[in-house]
Amino acid sequence: MSVRARPTSPHLQIYRWTVTMAMSIIHRATGIANYGGMALLAIWLVAAAIGQDALTQVNYIYGSWFGQLVLFGFTWSLVHHMCGGLRHFVWDFAVMMEPGQREKMAWATLGASVVITLLIWTVFVWMA
Amino acid sequence: MRDTVITTETIADPKSHYGDAKASTRHFITQRLTGAINIAFLLLLLFVVVRLAGQDRADVVGLLGNWFIGIPFAALIAIAAIHMRNGMRDTLEDYLAGSMYRLAMLLNTLFCLAIALLGAGAVLKIVFWG
Repeated sequence: MSVRARPTSPHLQIYRWTVTMAMSIIHRATGIANYGGMALLAIWLVAAAIGQDALTQVNYIYGSWFGQLVLFGFTWSLVHHMCGGLRHFVWDFAVMMEPGQREKMAWATLGASVVITLLIWTVFVWMA
Repeated sequence: MRDTVITTETIADPKSHYGDAKASTRHFITQRLTGAINIAFLLLLLFVVVRLAGQDRADVVGLLGNWFIGIPFAALIAIAAIHMRNGMRDTLEDYLAGSMYRLAMLLNTLFCLAIALLGAGAVLKIVFWG
């Protein structure tokens, strides 16, 4: 597994921000966040496998306001990365790539991820 | 080969076979396939977390102990780990090269392996041994 040196990206500051560019960056950022976030899932499952004491401790940390804040962010990150992935599946069929279409789909990705995340937390956490 | 400096001529020339055609195609297909499967993972994850968040060990064993929930859940965690490793590879390729890339890729592999073994292992432990 080796790759040869690739050309590096030019400075980001020279570009005017576009929604497609922002969604591309956020797709990578949420991917990295999910990468780290999966450790939270693994820790929870391992604690459950070990015993009640370990699980109680993890539940206490995850149930704290900070834990809930992180889990809320993780939920949005997962949902957004999934929506971004669906957008890539659409592009794989070489459609929705024209100006206007791609921007619409980028905004839809953001809108859908926010709405789905709020729905999940409203239905299963805040109203449960 | 590994630390060869890539010039714009190399990139522009199709005969230079810049990049690894076979591995890159495989990574692309792997990422699409595991990504599609991850939709199922997220649905099952939502179901499991909604049922078990903050619950006691007995409840966790009660739900994940069912083989028809625990086994798919463990398999989907392992598949997600493949997607994680592949996705992080894309990022590492963009910013690192040569020995630094290989070191980062080694750490990436170890992390994803740990997630898969610990996550799926914990679920399988609950399925088979309670």
